[in-house]
Amino acid sequence: MTTTLQRPTLPPSTHEFAEIIHRLEAGGAMLPDTPENLMQIIGIYKAYAVPMDFYWRDLLYIAERVFLNPLPAFKYFLPQSYLDLPNHYAGETADLRVWRGEATAHPELLAFIEKGEVQKKLPKLLHHLWHDRINMEFAEACARAMFWHRGMGGQFDPYLDSEEYKANADRAIRAYFQGNPVMLGLYRLFPDLFVEQVRELSYYANLGLFWEVMAPVFFEMSDLYDEGKITTVPEAMNFLVNGIFAIAGRPIYHHVYIRGECYEIIPKSKGFMWLYEAALPYVEAVFYRTSPFRGTKSYNAQAREVPADQKDFHYGILYADVFPVGSAGIPPTLLMQDMLHFLPPYLVDYYQEHCRGEEDMLIQLGISFQRSMYNVTSAVIQALRTALLYPLDDPNPKHLQANRQFFEAQLDRFRRPEARLRDIQDQSYR
Amino acid sequence: MSSRIFLAVDPLPLTDSVKPMADIVDIAVNAPGFKTLVAAVQAANLVETLKSPGPFTVFAPNDDAFAKLPPGTIQTLVQNPPQLARILAFHVVPGKWTQTDLQQVDTLTSVEGSPIRIDTSDGFEVKNATVIAADIEADNGIIHVLDSVILMG
Repeated sequence: MTTTLQRPTLPPSTHEFAEIIHRLEAGGAMLPDTPENLMQIIGIYKAYAVPMDFYWRDLLYIAERVFLNPLPAFKYFLPQSYLDLPNHYAGETADLRVWRGEATAHPELLAFIEKGEVQKKLPKLLHHLWHDRINMEFAEACARAMFWHRGMGGQFDPYLDSEEYKANADRAIRAYFQGNPVMLGLYRLFPDLFVEQVRELSYYANLGLFWEVMAPVFFEMSDLYDEGKITTVPEAMNFLVNGIFAIAGRPIYHHVYIRGECYEIIPKSKGFMWLYEAALPYVEAVFYRTSPFRGTKSYNAQAREVPADQKDFHYGILYADVFPVGSAGIPPTLLMQDMLHFLPPYLVDYYQEHCRGEEDMLIQLGISFQRSMYNVTSAVIQALRTALLYPLDDPNPKHLQANRQFFEAQLDRFRRPEARLRDIQDQSYR
Repeated sequence: MSSRIFLAVDPLPLTDSVKPMADIVDIAVNAPGFKTLVAAVQAANLVETLKSPGPFTVFAPNDDAFAKLPPGTIQTLVQNPPQLARILAFHVVPGKWTQTDLQQVDTLTSVEGSPIRIDTSDGFEVKNATVIAADIEADNGIIHVLDSVILMG
C-alpha cells in the first residue's frame, strides 16, 4: 500500500480581493506579474534611487550639521563631505554590499547637481533660485509626515518623550547656541520649543538612515534587470524581501556634530533597528497615511473632507489620485519632477507612446510609481508574513489559515474606494 | 524492573545532587547544534547575563533555525551588538517556565519588552516557531529549543 503526502489546501477565499490573496499565497505580489509591470517598476526604482541618493545625504546633513540654524537658507547646498559620505550598503567599504556600484554620490546625481535641467554649469545659487535642483522639499515632507503622525510602532517614537532624550537634546541645544544669549534666552522662556525641533530632526535622521539603504537596493535591482537576472514581478518582490531581512538590524540613531564634537541625541546603543524603528513606521506614515496636500482637499471642518481621526488618514501613494496630486508644488509632484530627470531610456520611450506622450509624462510616471510602491508594500507584507507567521508551503492547515487571515487583514485596508489596488490590476490605468 | 537495577548500581544520581548543574550558557556551548546562538550571545555581550542566577526561560533557536533567515540578516546583526542583543532578549523571559507552566498562559513578556504568544493547544508553539525539545533544565533557568528564530511584532 502506498500513501501519498498531499499539501493541505484551504477553500477559496471569499474576500473581495480573493484573486490577489490567492496570488499572495502562491508567493506573488499585489501587482500582476507582467513584463510591462516589471519594466515600469524597475525603471521607476532606478529613477527614484538617484534623487534618493541626494535625499538621504541631505536629511543626515540637516539633522547632523544644520541642526537648529534659525535661518537655514543653505540647507540644500550639500557639502562635498556629504556627497562623498560612503553609503554603508554600496561600494568596497560597505558593511554589507547590496549594490555593486560606488559608495559615494551617484554619477548621474553629481552631473545633475552641476548642470541641472538647463544643462549649463552656472553658479549653484542660480540653479537653486531657478528651482533647477533636487526637490528636497519632498524628502522633508516625508520626514514631517512621520513626525506628525508619530506613534507608528517601534521604540524610537516613545523614546522622543523620555527624560533621557530630553537631557541629550538639552546638551546639544546648549552647545549649539553657546555664546548666543538671544537663543539661549528664548530656550529658557520656552523650554519645549527647541526640543520639539530636535524631535523633528531626529525623524530627519531616521528617514535619512532608512533611505541610505533603499537607494542601493533600487540601484542593484535596476542593474540586475538590465543584466536579465530579474525577469518577473515576484523576483523583484523577493529581492526586496531579502533586502528587508538583510538590513533589518541596521542601527537607527541621531548624532549631531557641533564644533567638531559628536552629541549622541539617540545613541546606537539604544538598539533601535531599521526594520522596527524606521521601515515599518515609514510605510505606515508615508505609504498609507501622510496628509492631504493643500489644494487637493479642503481643510474646512464643515466640508468633512479630512477625517477627524488621524488613523483614518489615507493620502499615501497607495490611495493617491495622481492627476490632482500632480499639481505644482505638491510633495509627490516634486518627487515626480525629480524622477523625470533620471528615467531610463526605455521608460521615456514607453511614456511617449501612451496618453499624451511628453505632455503628461509626470502623471504616467506617477502611476508607474504607484505600481512600484504596491510592489514594495507586497514585499513588506510577505516579509512580515515570513517573520511573524508561517511559510507559504507549511504542511499545517492551521498555519495556512493564519497566513490567510493576515493577508485578508492587510488587503482590508484597500477596500476603501480611494485605494488604487483595483486600478493597478489593469494595464490601461496610466 | 530494569530501571531499578540501573539506579541501584549507578552512582551518578548521588554525585549529581552535590555537583551544581550547568548554567544556560554552558548547556548551549556543550550541546550540538547551537553554534550560531552561542556566537550571537558572545557578540551581543550577553554571556555574563545568561550566566547570572536569573532564573530565565530561554527559547533557543538551533543552528537550522538561524540558517532559515535570509542571507545577510545575521551578518548585519552581528555587526551591531545592541541590535543583536535586542533580538536575543526577545527570546528570553524572566522566571523559570516549564512546558507545564506554559499551558496556563497565552502570552509572556520578553526581556526585550514585546509579548511572546504561547500556544500549547496542539503541540508546543512559541509565536510562529515550534518547540522541538522542551524543558532542558539549567541551574539558572530552563531552555526550550525552537525550530525558527522569533521576531517582535
